[in-house]
Amino acid sequence: MEKVLEVKELSKMYKKGVYASEKVSFDIGQGEIFALIGPNGAGKTTTIRMIATLLSSTEGDALVSGYSINKEPAKVRENITYLPDEAGAYKQMTGKSYLEFMAGLYAKNKNEQKLFVERASETAELGDRLNDKIGSYSRGMIRKLLLSRAVMSRPALAILDEPTSGLDIINALEIRRMIKSLAAEGMSFLLSSHNMLEIEYVSDRVGIIAKGHLLEVGTVQGLKDKYAVSNLEEVFERVVKQNEIY
Amino acid sequence: MKFTNLFKKELKELLTVQVLVSMIVTMLVLIFVGNSFGGIIEDTVEEASEMTICDRDNTPFTQQLIKALTVSEIDENTGLPLKYDDSLVTLVDIPTDNYIEEFKRLDINSVIIIPKGFSDKIAAGEKAELINISRMTSGATLSNISMNDAAVGSIREAIKQSYIVEHGISLEELGTAESLVTVQDKTIVADRSADVSSATIASLTSMQNMFLPIVVYILLMFSSQMIISAISTEKIDKTLETLFSAPVSRMSVLCAKMLAAAVIAALNAVAYMIGFNYMMKGMTTGMTSEGSDAILQQLGLHLSVGDYALVGIQLFLTILIALSVSLVLGALAKDAKAAQSLTMPIMFLAMIPYILSMIIDIKSLPAVVRYIVYAIPFTHTFTACDNIMFGNMKLYFGGMIYQMVLLVICLTLAVKVFTTDRIFTMTIDPSRKRKNKKGFKSDAQDGQTD
Repeated sequence: MEKVLEVKELSKMYKKGVYASEKVSFDIGQGEIFALIGPNGAGKTTTIRMIATLLSSTEGDALVSGYSINKEPAKVRENITYLPDEAGAYKQMTGKSYLEFMAGLYAKNKNEQKLFVERASETAELGDRLNDKIGSYSRGMIRKLLLSRAVMSRPALAILDEPTSGLDIINALEIRRMIKSLAAEGMSFLLSSHNMLEIEYVSDRVGIIAKGHLLEVGTVQGLKDKYAVSNLEEVFERVVKQNEIY
Repeated sequence: MKFTNLFKKELKELLTVQVLVSMIVTMLVLIFVGNSFGGIIEDTVEEASEMTICDRDNTPFTQQLIKALTVSEIDENTGLPLKYDDSLVTLVDIPTDNYIEEFKRLDINSVIIIPKGFSDKIAAGEKAELINISRMTSGATLSNISMNDAAVGSIREAIKQSYIVEHGISLEELGTAESLVTVQDKTIVADRSADVSSATIASLTSMQNMFLPIVVYILLMFSSQMIISAISTEKIDKTLETLFSAPVSRMSVLCAKMLAAAVIAALNAVAYMIGFNYMMKGMTTGMTSEGSDAILQQLGLHLSVGDYALVGIQLFLTILIALSVSLVLGALAKDAKAAQSLTMPIMFLAMIPYILSMIIDIKSLPAVVRYIVYAIPFTHTFTACDNIMFGNMKLYFGGMIYQMVLLVICLTLAVKVFTTDRIFTMTIDPSRKRKNKKGFKSDAQDGQTD
């Protein structure tokens, strides 16, 4: 499987000696859904933000489609999209004008921009509400709009931080299905979540992160077998206790 | 009981650290302005109570008139002078009629000239003329206080008294006595002069001098609030993260924001200028005439298109400085409430020169206060109109260069914040210290590392 993301001993130190994430290494293949799981403050968002070129790394590197986040951040950004946790959108814009604006940043020409908007409009399934101002949208509608924006350019890697947080069951299920179907088409996903059940359902492989350390990487089933437990939450508990993190 | 609970809660909600800081700083700003005023008013009144006289006639009669101007105490019962204070009148020699040069040589701002033959004309019962000359260096209200009018009044009164004593009293003669002294007013502005009183000029330019500070202040606050709100909203809503992870440079995002805010501010400036111009025209209809326009032009107090362009350049520089500072301030906001209070530093910095420039001539402030006020970059825009009108071009260009240097520094700071991790990691939260004491983690440890 061709590697879309290679993370090599990536570290971020905010204060002298205090690491938010330390020597984190993993990779993601094409069409793979990889999830970083861990509690609040584990270092998921910091790791994701470094890969998304929002934060600089203190040590290590990550390659997205072969481009270094440290040396070629502009090239990296051409190959990724990022959906932050609990992100909003420009409330005074309509859903459609937001998609047009964002498509304009990713597309190389007008035709491609149009294609991206059409694709996103279809994915969002918001119908005529796309012509309404985002300020009038529900949380679920905004999340759908943002997710459709994140996948409209079919990036090599879509980075989604807590993609379904705060959503109702129906909306969350729809989004999980959307992610799975796009992965089947060849898009790669890096997800972050502390919802283990969601991750168990949607991801191909998971990385367990706690206190800035990536403690375990493997398939959901592989990890369950390794620790002889029935679900991912129990895997997490075992991994954390084994490493004497908490 | 329930109401008290509600009231306490509302009070706690409203009385935040930011509100308290705002109250205290406002008070301190007003105290600072008050102290500056106190000193300058004292100096102005002291300076204004001193009269400068040039006695070209130099007769016992004019000497007696000048002596009458030095009376510092009068007997309430008899009306006769009790004390004289010679320091109230400064006698100068002005040999030529080149008043611009003579004023520069003597370094004076006003003088009353008693022309040769003045006493003879009075003695003959003919009309005699005094020349009242003032030099204006600013349009600010307090800078144009002068005792010349009072001196002219005193001279008139003294002559009237002596005329009445000499000629006996009749109604007709009283009228003659009152109209014996005429005054020829002259005002000098930079290297130009016109036959008009400084009071007239001050009233003609007062609207103009009031108008620019209002426009500058409103625009400063408007553009700062706009950019702080734009940046903080993007940061809080995380749309900034979305933008920065897109294939677009951070500099492009920064420039687009600055330019858009500057365009809106410029549009606002134009709208305000047009609106205020019409408002002022409406308010001053009947107060000005073609003649007064010609006098203002003669004195160089009529702003030309080029002058407006110079004012515009400084206005634009001020707005750009405010915008670049606001970009950094906006990035500090942790929530909407914090964002609201972040306009405070700009508001206070703008408030000082705004109030001062309308009332006093900043050039005349004591050195330390003056340099503090000049260190505020907005001051130079508040005084731009005055500096251009009164020919203080060194001050204008000095201010402009200072603003340019400061703009480069502020922009560098804004670029540094925008192109590094700081845009996501730095926040201002007055309650954080308290939280830390209780053992809460700092931003870098909690919010950023999920």
